[in-house]
Amino acid sequence: MQNIDIITNVGLNHYLVLSALLFVTGMAGVLLRRNVIVLLMSIELMLNAVNISFVAFSKYLGKLDGQILVFFVMTIAAAEAAVGLAIAVSIFKRYKEVNIRFFEHLKG
Amino acid sequence: MTADSFLFWMLAIVTLVGGLSVILVSNPIYSALCLAMSMVGVSALFATLGAYFIAGVQMIVYAGAVLVLFVMVLMLFDLKTELATFSRGKISGLMKIAIVGLLAGFLAGAFKTMTFEGADQAATKAVSTGDTTKALGTLLFTKYVFGFEALGILLLVIAIGVVGLARSKGGTHAKH
Repeated sequence: MQNIDIITNVGLNHYLVLSALLFVTGMAGVLLRRNVIVLLMSIELMLNAVNISFVAFSKYLGKLDGQILVFFVMTIAAAEAAVGLAIAVSIFKRYKEVNIRFFEHLKG
Repeated sequence: MTADSFLFWMLAIVTLVGGLSVILVSNPIYSALCLAMSMVGVSALFATLGAYFIAGVQMIVYAGAVLVLFVMVLMLFDLKTELATFSRGKISGLMKIAIVGLLAGFLAGAFKTMTFEGADQAATKAVSTGDTTKALGTLLFTKYVFGFEALGILLLVIAIGVVGLARSKGGTHAKH
């Protein structure tokens, strides 16, 4: 009966574990991939995982502040993606590739 | 199995499969598509949590704006021949995966042992049912108005800065 209860009774912990798994996936992407664009996508995944736990806490604690923080995180994420992609474009201009190892030449 | 839990499991699978495909697929344009799938899943999860406005914003900002930005930049590059998709080194790669697995284990263990004050039963409170958009707007423009204004300035600075960064020395196809 215990197993069925875990599946049918979705609560706060389910959302938190899903959020943790998504965050870990994004972290693996950041550590393992070499393409800067995919790296930025992995960072977006991590930010989204955090958003899930914010909204889950907001619902299960009955406070709306978590959803406001989700707004802020989304704004920061959009800004971060824009800056990251601009840097990727400037890297591509010089080296014709967007591998992360070219970022050590970013100084000039 | 109730409709709620079925929806949760389906969306969880969609989101996680999308996220995994982002890091496992070697062509970046497929990564972007899988990211879109994951974002839509996350947006639907927000809807199951009763945050309908956030779900809409997620669809517009992420699945709309940010992904279009990614795909546009990908189209600027010609990335058909990607030499090294993953980082080299078997041992360091295994260590990275082990670190990630360790973090996942710690988090899952923490969630299992943790109990949150006032949670679980609080879900049936009035704030989570019905429309929360009005309350959200009130909160945003009273308690968090400073953060809101600061983010506006940040976005302005970012927009100008990004244009300056990307356009310096003649854009994407500059000759040097």
